[in-house]
Amino acid sequence: MTTTARPRSSIWSYRSLIWNFAQRDLKSRFKGTALGWVWSLLFPLATLFTYSLVFSVIFPAAPPAFGNGRPGFFPVWLFCGLIPWSFFLISLMTAIPTLLANGPVLQKVYFPSYAPILGAVVAILVQTLIELAIYAVALIVFGDVSLSWLLFPIWLAIYVAFVTSVAVSLAIMNVYFRDLAHLTNVVLQLLFFLTPIIYQSTSVPAEWHHIPLRAIVQLNPIAGFVESLRQLSYDLQVPSLSTWLGLIAWTLGAIAMAVFVYRRRGLDIGETV
Amino acid sequence: MTDVAISAEHLSKRFWLHRERRTALKERAVRGRAPKAQEFWALRDASFSIERGATFGLLGQNGSGKSTTLKVLAGIYRPTSGRVIVNGRVSALLELGAGFHGELTGRENIRLNGAILGLSRRQIDAAMDRIIDFAGIGEFIDSPVKIYSSGMFVRLGFAVAVSLDPEILMVDEVIAVGDEEFQRKCFDHLFELRKRGTTIVLVTHSLGLIRDLCDEAAWLDHGEIRELGAARDVADSYIASVNDREVHAQPVDPSAVPAANGAARLGSGQVRITSLEYLDEDGEPSPVLLAGAPCTIRMHFEAGSSVSRAIFGLGFLHESGANVAGPNSGRIGPHPVERGHGYIDFVVDELLLQPGTYQVSTAIVDRGHTYDYADREFDLRVRGRGDQEPGLTRMPGVWMTPVSVAGAAAGEVSVWEAVRAGQ
Repeated sequence: MTTTARPRSSIWSYRSLIWNFAQRDLKSRFKGTALGWVWSLLFPLATLFTYSLVFSVIFPAAPPAFGNGRPGFFPVWLFCGLIPWSFFLISLMTAIPTLLANGPVLQKVYFPSYAPILGAVVAILVQTLIELAIYAVALIVFGDVSLSWLLFPIWLAIYVAFVTSVAVSLAIMNVYFRDLAHLTNVVLQLLFFLTPIIYQSTSVPAEWHHIPLRAIVQLNPIAGFVESLRQLSYDLQVPSLSTWLGLIAWTLGAIAMAVFVYRRRGLDIGETV
Repeated sequence: MTDVAISAEHLSKRFWLHRERRTALKERAVRGRAPKAQEFWALRDASFSIERGATFGLLGQNGSGKSTTLKVLAGIYRPTSGRVIVNGRVSALLELGAGFHGELTGRENIRLNGAILGLSRRQIDAAMDRIIDFAGIGEFIDSPVKIYSSGMFVRLGFAVAVSLDPEILMVDEVIAVGDEEFQRKCFDHLFELRKRGTTIVLVTHSLGLIRDLCDEAAWLDHGEIRELGAARDVADSYIASVNDREVHAQPVDPSAVPAANGAARLGSGQVRITSLEYLDEDGEPSPVLLAGAPCTIRMHFEAGSSVSRAIFGLGFLHESGANVAGPNSGRIGPHPVERGHGYIDFVVDELLLQPGTYQVSTAIVDRGHTYDYADREFDLRVRGRGDQEPGLTRMPGVWMTPVSVAGAAAGEVSVWEAVRAGQ
């Protein structure tokens, strides 16, 4: 029988520490740069600009109409896909190396290993919320507003739980298998094109060389999150119950995985990093 | 019933020693699983308990399991088996400034470090001014810590850890950093915390600190507790064992203290000291001498030509630079020295030097003439028996029992009475 000297506390009791890690990440990221915070907005805006240019000038693609019936505007439609995607991508990219980066502290002071990971995700979430605010302003300008927006907080809560859980699993596993960081990069590239961000899932052929392409795209959990956000904010429709249940199922699976990985591998990070 | 702050029952900690780690997938695929790791017990069946408000010292050689014990107590490691129960908020001081982020300012790092140490925002805000004051780094507090000097860095680290008013403080030798003034401040603060009732667990190599600061101590040897008890007793048995080991471990060579390059020597050179030899109580060569014991210092010399008058001298200098003693054979007059090898003994009834490392100079002179002078060319290590006094040398003398002067109830009054009586 073993008893450790660690306090028995919940994630909630570590909120102050998690927030401090998030603040550290936020403050240190743009310290010493001339533009500072502006950079965090310039990056998604530049991506938005590039894709808008490509899909309105080089390969003109007609964006779907706004939910209020007005003709659609491609950059706004694209922005709605890019925001949740960037949140997922940047969260994983910053969270995965965070335990190795915090190694010296983890060896000297006890705190749960998920704290710096959650801090990293929270820091990215702050940036995502700013982007979402800009997106909301754009929709208001186009008059594309309805009661379906009220579902947004629920969507956000589920998505944040999903992204955080994936980040915790991958970040802990990366301490033991350092290939994971590189592998994740490759998978994320692939996943970007498997997610209906720059295209609509309905424009994917149902079958291609006997491969059920559309089903694959729709099975991808990120696709579910992106499409449901578009539905409730851009199309002004309420996503179907089965869509919600699908998202919740993915999220519960991700949480179960994270808890399993943390219990199995996350408790002795201090002697491994 | 005593109030226990920390209780450890049958603690063991096992590590796996990987000769090589294969964390990369390619290595696993190409070369298979890493060879089976060897187990290593850093701590084995250690049990002790620390009362609230007590100061507990952990001592032992490097690799004996002191730091592992501290990490298990601090919750950084989980014990492989056994139980630790810690009652109270812990602040672990295993490295000063661990967790500081270079880009953040001192103030921002105080918040971060405080949160890492488990404090709420309100508690940190309440302690902020005290921390800044204790660290004494002035207006640098609002500059990024990457521009701090290493001294400022550790000062801030120490200030955060101790100013947060921990109930239990765990310290791992980190206080031996920084300038002298800050070190003194740190020690003063540790004494102050102890006085206030903070439970302190201290890992240190400094036996002086164990004796001065600790109530109880555990001596760890290869992961097992060798002795547990009053700090002074444990420190005494520890030092006795270390002395013992040192004497037996070092091969004894008659010319154990060889002379360095003779070119740096001063003097005309007809006679030169070739080596010094230290003989213990039993006349056996020994690399160290025991404080308070009889010994002999044998000076070997080589004479290129015979000399009619020579006086041999020794000079002992402490590490601090102080010149402690300089005996010479002039007391019994100059002696003639024949051509060839020879030696002269300086016999000491009781070595008055206190434990430490001394540099030894040797000289062969005659009135104003110098034949040979070796400036601090030799080392002498003196080991203690545990009953150390402050200072460089012992002062011979006998303490008598206190004498009470009958009838003098209050000293001050009696002095006045004495003065009046004198008038």
